[in-house]
Formats: sequence, structure tokens, C-alpha cells
Amino acid sequence: MRSNRLGWLLLSPSLIVLFIVGFLPFLYVIWVGFHDWNIFAATRGMTWAGANNYRRLVFDQDFLAALWRTLVFTFTVVTSELVLGFVLAQTLTRQFPGRAFFRTIYVLPLVVAPIAVGATWRLMVIPGFGPIPYFLERWFGIQYRIGTYAEHAWATAVLMDIWHWTPFVTLTLLAGLSAIPREPLEQAMVDGANRWQVFRYITIPMMMPVILTVVFIRIMDALRVVDEVYMLTNGGPGTATTLIGLHIFRVVFPKTDYGYGSAMSLLVLYVTIVMCWLLFVALANVGKQKA
Amino acid sequence: MTETKPIQAPVEHKGRRGFLPIETNTFDRVFISVVIWIGASLLWMRFIEPLGLSVWICTILCIILGVWIVKKG
Repeated sequence: MRSNRLGWLLLSPSLIVLFIVGFLPFLYVIWVGFHDWNIFAATRGMTWAGANNYRRLVFDQDFLAALWRTLVFTFTVVTSELVLGFVLAQTLTRQFPGRAFFRTIYVLPLVVAPIAVGATWRLMVIPGFGPIPYFLERWFGIQYRIGTYAEHAWATAVLMDIWHWTPFVTLTLLAGLSAIPREPLEQAMVDGANRWQVFRYITIPMMMPVILTVVFIRIMDALRVVDEVYMLTNGGPGTATTLIGLHIFRVVFPKTDYGYGSAMSLLVLYVTIVMCWLLFVALANVGKQKA
Repeated sequence: MTETKPIQAPVEHKGRRGFLPIETNTFDRVFISVVIWIGASLLWMRFIEPLGLSVWICTILCIILGVWIVKKG
């Protein structure tokens, strides 16, 4: 009983801060989501709208298209980053010349602000100025135009995100790999398991908590990408790279439709929570069945 | 010598197995009910409400389902 009271006492400062900066704004967004609130509207202030914002949302083709685009983007980047990150983390556990140097320069994208990442990539892919379209055209005859072709803009946005966030995945997985005890791996080798079997039946299950954490963090991040894509393509050409974060930004800030923007944000939060929870349950169940 | 006890988490999670395919505690079951309620309401507004059935019917059904999940899930 004493330890419980002490536990709550020690937790209380963090809980109070979290309540003020995390939970109260969340409740406020829920409250705003049930109102019409546009500062340039004829009626100033908030007016109760009930579930009308959500009713409007489920019929909004632009919103639903942006949401679907974001889900595809998230799946593509998270899967690619996980595979690449795992391969690189495995590579970095071995000794090779220049390993420390590679590790250092490899994590540099992580310290760059997303808006600067978007600006840098934009400079690299602007036709007539950037080196990427120049060399692609000169060497392979490919007309690389992110302002004209939707697939070029999409591929650039995906590559940019992978370039920016794979180091984070690698570092986290590398920490996980370093913490795995050597004994089970050596025992398996002694018992005649090959490299693939050791990786599949020992390394992956032991890494599952780390993999889950990384996947959750990356899913949450990828679902709310705004600044990188805003800087790179501004959502274009057309709406080819208008991800949900950018769509919400345009509704909330230029159009100042706060009520509808809040409703959209809450739906994205709902999708994020459901996706992470389903993934957690599925992977936890797979782990239990194997145990 | 004072006896030292290991510090425990202030909240105790007691899971149980009901008709849901996973082990859940009360919070999990309330969470699942709310998730189903929100999803069902959105789908209802999109597909059923245009046919003339109010979303309140969905809310009542979801409350009944939620109580069932919390008690038996």
C-alpha cells in the first residue's frame, strides 16, 4: 500500500503536466469537433453542430482520397524503412573498416528539420536546376518532372521519407540487436541451426518488442507528415501528394474551418489508434502462439 | 534490517478470457466498445442514415453491444 502511494506521489508531477499539455487540448479538440467555428463566418464564435462535421466528413471525397493516399504512403514507407533498417542494423553489428564514420554520417538526416529536408530535396529535383533530373535525363533519358508527373512526385516523397527516417529505424533496431543475449544464438548454432533459422526463430522473436515500438512510432509519424511534403511538392501535381496532414492544414489554416479541421484530426487519430492496436494484438498473439 | 518490497505498478492489470479472441481487462473491453461505437457510427452516417434511419439507433445498439462486451467479452 505504501509503495502504491509513493508511486502515485512520484508520478503526480508528470501526470499533472501531461494532463495540462496533452489531455486538456485533446478534450478541447473533441469539443471543437462538435461545433462550427470559422472566424470569418457571419456568426462569430462557436455554434453547436452536433455530429454534422462527422456527417460531412464521411461524404467528403477529397478527405477520403487524402486518407487513402496517406495509408498507402504509410504502408510503403514503414515497410521499406523496416526492411532497410533491419538490413543496415545487421550490417552495423559487424566489424568493417570505417564503421564508426559510416554510423556518424548515416544518422545526419535525423538531425535535419523536416522542413529543411523538404527544401533540400526540392532543390535536388527541380527540373533545370537540380542534379537528379539532369543526370537521369543525361544517363537514362528519363524526363524527371515532379511538377508534371504524379508518379514522379509520389516516388520522390516516398524516397525522401525513407532517406530521412531509415537511420532512426536502424539505430533503434541496432540497440535492440546489441541487447540480445548471445547464448541462445550460440546454442542454436551448436544444435545445427543455419543462419536463416537463427534469424527467423530466435532473432526476430527476441526483437519483436523493439520492432513493434519502431513500427508504432513510424506509423504515427508517417500518418501526420505535413512539412516535408508541403515543402517538396505542396501536395501536387493536382492532389497526387496531398497527404491527410496537408489536407487538414489547408482546411484549418487558409480556410479557418476549425470545427471541421478538428473532426478530421480526430478521425485520423482514430485510424492511428485502431491500426496500432490491431497490429499490437496481431503481433502479440503470434508471439503467444509461438511461445 | 527493514524489509524492502519490490515497487509495483500503481495499476493492477487483471486480464480474463471471454468470448473475445484475446485476453482483456476492463479497460481493454471499454476501449474495444468505444472503437466499435465510433466506427459503427461513421459507417452508419455514410451508408444507413441516407436511407432514413437515425444515427441514434446505432448509438443505442452500440451501447447494448458495449455493455455485453464489457460484461462477457
